[in-house]
Amino acid sequence: MQFATTLVERTPIFGRMFKIDTSTGLEEISAWPALMMMASFIWLTIAILLGISMPLTQILELDSSLFYTAITAHGAAMAFPFMFQLMAAVGIHRAAGCIGSPVTGFLPAAFFWCMNIGGALLSVAVLSGLKISYAVMFPLPIVGVETGQWDMWHVILGFTGIAGVLISVILIYPVLTIKMLFFDRPREDLILSPRTLRDPGMLGMAMAAFVLLIMGTPLIIVASAVLLALYGILPMAWITWATDPMVFQFVFYIFAHNLMEAMAIMVVSAVYATLPLYLADGTRKLYSDRLANLALWILLLTSVTSFFHHFFTMFPALPAALSYHGNIMSWGTGVGAALTIFTVSATIWKHGIRMEPGLMAVLMGFTLYIMDGVSAIITSNVAWSFQLHGTMWQAGHTMAVLIAMSFMWIGVFIHHYPVMTGRQINIRLGNWFVALFTIAAMGLDWSFLAAGAAGMPRRFAAWNQEGWLMYGYLILLFGIILAISFFLLAACFRKSRDLAEVTAAAPAE
Amino acid sequence: MQDFIYQTGWGAFSILLLFQIPFILGFFYIVFRRSRPNVQLNDVSESSISRAKNGWMALVVISFLIVNLASIQYIPAVYTANAAAVEQNVVDVSVKAESWSYDFSEQEFNVGQAVRFNANAVDTVHGFAIYHPNGHVIFTMMLVPGVGPSSLIHTFKEPGTYKVRCLEYCGAAHHDMNDEIIVAQSSS
Repeated sequence: MQFATTLVERTPIFGRMFKIDTSTGLEEISAWPALMMMASFIWLTIAILLGISMPLTQILELDSSLFYTAITAHGAAMAFPFMFQLMAAVGIHRAAGCIGSPVTGFLPAAFFWCMNIGGALLSVAVLSGLKISYAVMFPLPIVGVETGQWDMWHVILGFTGIAGVLISVILIYPVLTIKMLFFDRPREDLILSPRTLRDPGMLGMAMAAFVLLIMGTPLIIVASAVLLALYGILPMAWITWATDPMVFQFVFYIFAHNLMEAMAIMVVSAVYATLPLYLADGTRKLYSDRLANLALWILLLTSVTSFFHHFFTMFPALPAALSYHGNIMSWGTGVGAALTIFTVSATIWKHGIRMEPGLMAVLMGFTLYIMDGVSAIITSNVAWSFQLHGTMWQAGHTMAVLIAMSFMWIGVFIHHYPVMTGRQINIRLGNWFVALFTIAAMGLDWSFLAAGAAGMPRRFAAWNQEGWLMYGYLILLFGIILAISFFLLAACFRKSRDLAEVTAAAPAE
Repeated sequence: MQDFIYQTGWGAFSILLLFQIPFILGFFYIVFRRSRPNVQLNDVSESSISRAKNGWMALVVISFLIVNLASIQYIPAVYTANAAAVEQNVVDVSVKAESWSYDFSEQEFNVGQAVRFNANAVDTVHGFAIYHPNGHVIFTMMLVPGVGPSSLIHTFKEPGTYKVRCLEYCGAAHHDMNDEIIVAQSSS
């Protein structure tokens, strides 16, 4: 804990933004989450540069290998060390403050080191030649060695990094959350806002932890077998069951799909928890907890088996019956989302809201999340999937869901910021961040989806044909606006003021 | 109209906007109207919210059903089964995808001819997408090595040169993995 506090304080540039308030006695719930937040923002900075370099390599007609390096490194940095670490940091901090459980000991430290060392190893492997996209595309890593695209040591290094990331996401984070929610003895001095598992704001935390643990375990088993064989500990002949491409594809997507769904369930839960705190009439209650919980249960139950939509275009290797099941379940998630839209809208309509940057980031992120949900269910219709699968439509869906969730989590973090740091963000810069981020994210989403509608392939280093480069310019434009919005967010943290100073100035304002 | 909606990416994009735009307008209206400092908050009755809930959920379920039920005839499993039952002379074409090229058993067809594409990947995951001469994707298939062929029947309706592209990232020259299919006007 003291290590986390010190590391944040001593980190140049970013340390100032996330410096922990040690005067309140809440360091036990704030230190590790603050360090994870800081690390996720460092990864975000790297991911932004890589993201902007993708359209640039195409517009400037640079070597295609640069594009494939950028897309692999960008995807890997965005999905896990940035997005998941951000979510874990805010989620753990929120859970700790709601149930009075300290975030100390082995598990938060193990999460931090596994995630960041894993991310760093994977990045080194990618930057030195391993170009497998963030989706791994197994058996491409092995085929790439056989065809001379990269060396086996790249694969071993990259898979070691992936193992670190997967262990933190599939094992450590869920175990830490389950331990906090079900096994830790609550400490009154750490409870900031008491909640139980009946509260929709906590239910989603528990659901997400179990989904990750259960749906991710098969991938951990398969990936461990492959890694042990790569290290030479197991003979390759012993793990042919794990290296079958179909086995790897299924365990990967059962995890990856449910990872996104778990993060969605968790962030919707965070919306349910945050919105009532900003109601204009001071009610501090959702329109209906029962409807909110129903939406979470529908999302959970429908999303688990909707992963078949990743394989519709393998017909008839994926039987039609499973395609139809995946189609129906995917649109079933839309019913859960519709209930969430209603609950959020009815709460706002009935009680009014105070428009502050944290809540507005949550609500605008929610808007983007629903927009993305529409693109997701459309491509999960079997008929449309055969036109859209493998195009920029799906790249847009992946990007938009990550951006939307990160926006909502940043909103929740802004709400937590005074408790964690003892400071108040710069409101004016916070409002600018929300406005620019919303415009950029909507523009990016529609640019990607329009590119997909026009047939532009994803992960494809030849944009200069069929008029596709027009979408490249749009992606670059909105990408730069998004980068500016993050710069403003960093500025709004750096220009934050001590709460005592804000309180003293308040009567004069 | 239905062909445009379900057989082109722009059709999907139109439906996307049909769902997205009303949501954005409605939600922004609620958020910004109810965040005004002087807004009257005691003007909402429980019964009106309850009616709105029922109406909203009915609208969602009905629109979801319409969109999906109308798509059934465009599902490849469905139209492939129909074509196999109706067509007398389906041309079987085998396609072998290997980094970074395709090997076709046949690449020239006639308009109106039903063609069953049976595509396999040899080394890693590949895609097999056929593009209409005007640029839109007619269909794409994902090919996973070690699994039976991905397969469907398609009947070309217009003559021209149809581009074939790989839409699953497959390594350093993925973007160069393409080929062509020629469709001629039927002589009969």
